[in-house]
Amino acid sequence: MTISLRQRLSAYVILGILALLIVIPLIAGALTAFKPQIIWVSSPPIWIFQPTLENFEFVFIQRQNLLHLRNSLIIATGSVTIALILGVPAAYALARFRFRGSKGLLQWLISLRMIPPIVVALPFYVLFQTFDLRGTHFGLILAYLTFLIPLVIWMMRGYFVEIPSAMEESAMVEGYSRLQALRKVVLPVVTPGIIATALLNFIFAWNEYFLALILGGRDTSTLPVAAATYVGRARVEWGNLFAVNLIIMLPVIILTIILRRQLVKGLALGLVE
Amino acid sequence: MTASTEVKPVATGAGAFRRWLYRMSQKYVHWFFIAPALIAVLVVAIYPIVYSTGLSFFRVTFDSRERPFVLFENFAWVLSDPDYRVVFGNTLLYVFVTVSGAFVLGFGAALLLRRITAGRNWLRLILLLPLTIAPIVVGLTWNWMLDPLFGLINWILTGLGLPPQTWLASTSTARIAVMLVDIWQWYPLIFLIMDAGLSGLPRAPYESARLEGASEWTIFRRITLPLLRPVILVALLLRTVDAFRTFDLVRVMTDGGPAYTTETLSLYLYRTAFNFNKLSRAGAGSMIMLLVIGIISALMFRYLYRDVERR
Amino acid sequence: MKVVLQDLVKQYPSSSSVAVNHVNLTIDNGELAVFLGPSGCGKTTTMRIIAGLETPDSGHVFIGERDVTDLASKDRRVAMVFQNFSMYPSMTVYENIAFPLQVLKLSKDEIDRQVKEAAGLVGVGHLLQRSSRQVSGGEAQRVALARSMVRRPEVFLMDEPLSSLDAKLRIQLRMEIKRLHQETGTTVIFVTHDQEEAMSLGDKIVVMDHGNVQQVGTPQEVFFNPRNVFVANFVGTPTMNMFDGTIKPNGGGLCVDLAGIELKLPDRFPGAGPGMPVTWGVRPESVKIADEGQPGDVPGTIELIEALGSRQQVFVRAGDKLFSAMIDALHPVRVGERVHLRFDHRGTHLFNAQTGLSLAEQH
Repeated sequence: MTISLRQRLSAYVILGILALLIVIPLIAGALTAFKPQIIWVSSPPIWIFQPTLENFEFVFIQRQNLLHLRNSLIIATGSVTIALILGVPAAYALARFRFRGSKGLLQWLISLRMIPPIVVALPFYVLFQTFDLRGTHFGLILAYLTFLIPLVIWMMRGYFVEIPSAMEESAMVEGYSRLQALRKVVLPVVTPGIIATALLNFIFAWNEYFLALILGGRDTSTLPVAAATYVGRARVEWGNLFAVNLIIMLPVIILTIILRRQLVKGLALGLVE
Repeated sequence: MTASTEVKPVATGAGAFRRWLYRMSQKYVHWFFIAPALIAVLVVAIYPIVYSTGLSFFRVTFDSRERPFVLFENFAWVLSDPDYRVVFGNTLLYVFVTVSGAFVLGFGAALLLRRITAGRNWLRLILLLPLTIAPIVVGLTWNWMLDPLFGLINWILTGLGLPPQTWLASTSTARIAVMLVDIWQWYPLIFLIMDAGLSGLPRAPYESARLEGASEWTIFRRITLPLLRPVILVALLLRTVDAFRTFDLVRVMTDGGPAYTTETLSLYLYRTAFNFNKLSRAGAGSMIMLLVIGIISALMFRYLYRDVERR
Repeated sequence: MKVVLQDLVKQYPSSSSVAVNHVNLTIDNGELAVFLGPSGCGKTTTMRIIAGLETPDSGHVFIGERDVTDLASKDRRVAMVFQNFSMYPSMTVYENIAFPLQVLKLSKDEIDRQVKEAAGLVGVGHLLQRSSRQVSGGEAQRVALARSMVRRPEVFLMDEPLSSLDAKLRIQLRMEIKRLHQETGTTVIFVTHDQEEAMSLGDKIVVMDHGNVQQVGTPQEVFFNPRNVFVANFVGTPTMNMFDGTIKPNGGGLCVDLAGIELKLPDRFPGAGPGMPVTWGVRPESVKIADEGQPGDVPGTIELIEALGSRQQVFVRAGDKLFSAMIDALHPVRVGERVHLRFDHRGTHLFNAQTGLSLAEQH
């Protein structure tokens, strides 16, 4: 197809505007995190100023957001680790073995992705009271498994399917058991996939708000829950709010840059390609 | 070598047990790998849903000792609640506007990306960002952008000679503002899916169509769209299901207000349960929601599979 | 080692047809046996059962004196080379060849010695430090061969190991496998759908279709004495000319009536009797083209000529039938020419049309 200069130029202009519309709010917000209190809000906006870290200091010490950061890390890491331990073997089996109902099982697992969180949040709330899990890290980790396990299984299955089954079969003929073959031969090959899956799942758990709001207690609030409380105040501390926002955003942006190829696959549930 | 092979081996004692063990391990090896995840899913997803279904047939509040069986009372209450109908309507409108908006913008951007060469990967990366940033962060950032006094948006509007707006506080603009932010966050998903779909298209049909002198519009309608149908359906399905349960964004931007204009189903059910202490009513409501989502995705899935099988 | 398959049956749960249907087979010690058949004929499944990668529904596998049916792959002392996999991507050539030895807990020096020996035998001794990405497809398959050899298995199993390579390399590696087999004297079972490969490699050819063994024999036997219509059709390129007809009495002997063409039958077919519906066949190599007719010749017109280097394949129309003949390239023919077809009786075949079985004397 020959594309005329005008077509190409208009594409550049439109896409450029779309990109700016995404980048500007993010940058403007991030800058505010470094602004001294007197210029948190200003019209016209101030772009050049002497950056300060006092907002971060304030949120960590006065607002106890360090605790929330810790909670977020514990819950996200914990839930992703458990989801991987449970999900990776299942993904392997669903990629390798064809048995009665294997296709249905896979579709069913994917369809769990469609459940609205409110549907599980309510019973979890009641059950957590019974089992004394409300306001514990473990409770939230458990709740996060609801959406993390299906995601891990779906993503990892894609990676296993790409590895010829002859690889572990070869090792099995050469004197290794299936588990040894998996560890020595398949695992090294699939490790990048596991890392990508882990990081994407980490992003989901890290960003989660709804379940954390309902099932988390005062001591287990995560960063998104803490961030949301800033707008409830009579006077919004914008600089402090954006400091928290930036702490939530920054690791995710870094992971996004690292993972950009695999992300599309994970976000689209691997249904494309 | 003796002809040991003509003798059918007779399994005895330990040998027989070992044989049996081997057979079983070969036959059920997949369950060894699947069972842990399956049990976990049953515990963390299926059990709560079943429990919640049960819950919605009783009258349950947080402090209630007794939980009388009330059959469909909760369902009847939810369905007859005028607020519920308003909220349901809101949600449908929200889903329709944000999904179609995201689709048009995302698909359009993906098509435009075909026309350019330099900077493609940069654009893909930038468009990934809204997807991976927490909806909470997005909502809070846009609260600040839309602030009537110092927000960047109003500053630009006044710069253009337009009157400033109280975006999130006025009944006429709050809904549109929240929906626009939702589109801002999620059209990149459609973009990325369609971009992947477009990249995967075969070249031969295009080349032959061009040789036959078909116009670009005809090519798009007759070749691109049919080939992309499954991809489009997947994108729409994912987006619809997610839009249906929107909570985070609305919660931090307007919290349902002003005057319930932005209240979504998730927010309403959250409030019913946790602000008004009507746990089992919220349970009944969430079951209805699950049913609606189930029907929507089943229909789309069926459409999708029929499509895939026809190929 | 001798390999014996006793009444093997395997059906996959997802499939309605039987993958392996009551297969009985003996492969003698030191033999190179080739499983030949179209895709889906059960040859690979049979091999995977021998390797222990599939469990049969019933039946037994013996390697030497051992019943290995319920033994894990790792304990069967077999080696396998695969079609779509050759090297562990996370290891170098050296590490690949050493991999099967590591589980044996040998000393480092011993492993080193054996790796170098095996690598030398298949000609990858100079590539030992290369990673899997730095070797070509042919080299990778040689590494797989070396890896299969180091454990000194009792049986080599090769599942279409050459089919992903290009033609030239395929022939070269085929010769080397034959040489390695002759040098080591170990039993080899080789699966292929390529009959030329089967013919050139095998001491014994096992032709399979639909999970059944159709014929077991030397390459000559399956080519010259196909036991049934399937084998006759599948083995040999170009394919045999085959037509349906009926047996009729003719003077003292019998003839076959191919609806319009009557051919005298030699007395090699004791199974044939008058009135019997049959399938008659002749290999293109046994069809001669003559300018002058003799009694018994079939007249026809040349319709198409395909040059194939030293030979040419000539298609001759006789009535409603099209015969193909393989003749010397120097024989002058042209399209439209009237010619006479003469069949070499040693190259003709006769099958019962109902059972598909050969009516020739069986040896």
